[in-house]
Amino acid sequence: MDLAFSPAQTLLQQSARTFLRQRCPPERVQALALDPLGFAADLWKEIAVLGWPGLLIAPEHGGSGASLGEALALMEELGRACFPGPFVPSAIVAATALGRAGGRRAQDVLAGLAGGARICTLALLETPGRLAPEAMTLPVAVPGRLTGRKLFVPDAHAATDVIVAGRGAAGPTALLLPMDRPGLTVRPLDSMTGDKLFALSFADVAVGPDDLLAVPGEAWTVLGPALRAGTLARCAEMAGAAQRVLELCVEHARVRVQGGRPIGSHQAIQHACADLYRDVESARWLTWEAEWALAAGRPDADTTVAAAKVHGAEAALRVARRGHQIMGAIGYSEEHPVHLLHKRILAASLDMGDAPLHLETLARAIGLG
Amino acid sequence: MDFGRSPDEAAFAEEVRAFLRAHPADSFPVDGTDAGYGSGAHSRAFMRALGERGWLSLTWPRAHGGQERPMGFVLVLLEELAAAGAPFGPLSGCLQVSESIIRHGSATLQREILPGVARGEATFWQGYSEPGAGSDLLALETRARLEGEHWVLDGRKIWSSHAGIATHGTVLARTDPASTRHRGLSMLMVDNRLPGMDVRPIRSLTGQVYHYEVFMDGVRVPREYIMGRPGEGFAQLLRGLDTDRFWGRLYKAPFLRRLLGLLVEHVRAERPHDAVARHRLAQAAAEIAALRALFHRAAWLIERGETATGPVSAAKLMADELGQRVCALGMELLGPYAALRAGSPEARLRGEIEHQYQTSWGHTLAGGTSEIQRTTIAVRALGLPAEPRVR
Repeated sequence: MDLAFSPAQTLLQQSARTFLRQRCPPERVQALALDPLGFAADLWKEIAVLGWPGLLIAPEHGGSGASLGEALALMEELGRACFPGPFVPSAIVAATALGRAGGRRAQDVLAGLAGGARICTLALLETPGRLAPEAMTLPVAVPGRLTGRKLFVPDAHAATDVIVAGRGAAGPTALLLPMDRPGLTVRPLDSMTGDKLFALSFADVAVGPDDLLAVPGEAWTVLGPALRAGTLARCAEMAGAAQRVLELCVEHARVRVQGGRPIGSHQAIQHACADLYRDVESARWLTWEAEWALAAGRPDADTTVAAAKVHGAEAALRVARRGHQIMGAIGYSEEHPVHLLHKRILAASLDMGDAPLHLETLARAIGLG
Repeated sequence: MDFGRSPDEAAFAEEVRAFLRAHPADSFPVDGTDAGYGSGAHSRAFMRALGERGWLSLTWPRAHGGQERPMGFVLVLLEELAAAGAPFGPLSGCLQVSESIIRHGSATLQREILPGVARGEATFWQGYSEPGAGSDLLALETRARLEGEHWVLDGRKIWSSHAGIATHGTVLARTDPASTRHRGLSMLMVDNRLPGMDVRPIRSLTGQVYHYEVFMDGVRVPREYIMGRPGEGFAQLLRGLDTDRFWGRLYKAPFLRRLLGLLVEHVRAERPHDAVARHRLAQAAAEIAALRALFHRAAWLIERGETATGPVSAAKLMADELGQRVCALGMELLGPYAALRAGSPEARLRGEIEHQYQTSWGHTLAGGTSEIQRTTIAVRALGLPAEPRVR
């Protein structure tokens, strides 16, 4: 057993925390959340200089070829800062999928992602909102014309490319399309989390063999590992955000004096803070165990990833909700960051498979086939 | 990061599993009740069998007859035993006491007690709580005064697990009559056979005997049967508190995983289309996985000698509250069969769930209540100001 962060992970976390404190303070996050089409192009350029969008991209495509473990260390900090924008879809999921896909188009896009010039979003969910291969029914014929709709597509307004999952004659089929392909239109949804989500419509969009992300019918060999990485990225993000809620609450409980003593000297508040601590720690270390299981190729890795998402979401949401109670009225105000953290956690809990999806994986793993 | 077992640990785990296959858990006679923590019943024969394999002295220095194995081996042993439902009740107490004897004990104590522990013959009860000293342990009134070559011990301890079938107690007593609170306390090793010892059973709500009340009336304890120097008792207790709580609960994750397996078996057989049951069992599986990760985090800190108070208290808190939820879920899933005891006609899952359900209500009290754990986390791990003491 070795539960230490590597020097690379520690360095990345430290530099990220310093950068984000200066360049992505809560006021900035709040302003972007209020802007219906907010996107921090300046921030994205700066993180590209730091190499973050290219962390998971191989050196030959301009990235640094880091491990998922390093990306997750960064994700904890991004969660802590409520970093807005398409980092998980583009830098984690799309980067992983395109890296596995190979092919000329994917390589071109990867180089653009690593340099920060391109952003790749994901068009996966359809009406029932289920992130499972059988729920992606958009008919795809290659060559052919694409007509239909995808929902909950993140940051489509800022993306240059999109991965589209649908169904062809051979089974699950995935495409990599440029966002400016004629016939492709976006319509913003309005989310309380501050996330920029869109409905994507395809009206007779021309699709050719060059647009294929993977061999028709085998989309999931590329998408599966990418979505697992994305799931863990959301877990690390939730753990980082929940850790920040805990810190804010403890700080408040220490300095807020009522009736002549800090409210944190009352057991009612102490015990609430202790529950937050339990939830943060258990969510965080289960996430790291899942990262290890995945990296080590453990046969039960999928189950551990599912457990990390289910428990992580439940625990982090508990932290956010209880955090509001500990913070008192100030935590109900727009200027206080606790609601931004709550909404970051909420958005992450809904993304990359919600509880029912991952509970299915767990149910099968424990023998309830 | 690496949450896995080393090749040596994996080989040892296989050795333990092979032993359990050859000697099934239910083939050992039981001497004391299963308190539901995951360590099963108290079985002298099973402890002797562990002793024969050298598994009770894995980490001890060679000078004391040990094998100087890393802590991870003990972790593996406890997890494997719990996963198999083996009756190793007194084991974690033995680990704690032997570690304490090796660290603080006199040469006499080391010579006279450790070999019995290694053979699986010596087992221990804890003499901490008293009728007037529960969560406020420092209110204890048990006293010992030095008379020649003996400590003369007077007092009364309560809620001491398996005190009636163990061989020795570790008794916290005031050895400096002029002292108050945490000063002047010492830890004595008391042989149950000494004159003046009166160990009386307390029947639990399960109908079985697990706890005892111990009356000590002029018990003459040899002078060297003290841990460390007089007055060090509380410091030792504090130093051992985290590891005590850790080793006393570590096996709860594999134990709950085993219970979950039983419930899955029941649902598959008797309500295969119950979507709610399926959902709730899957949810419990996620929480048990999180509990295990939390214990492993604590283990890693303890192995490195780092402060583990926060993670250990959080793990104990979660273990005991999750345990209650899993047992309550089991009772719900069993429906009208839930209350049928082991041995009753029509009992399901060998009647195990009702027993574990009942015992689970003691777990959030024992070893420091959940309230004490939460206060410990808040004050010692998070740095919140301690609640003002009422004078």
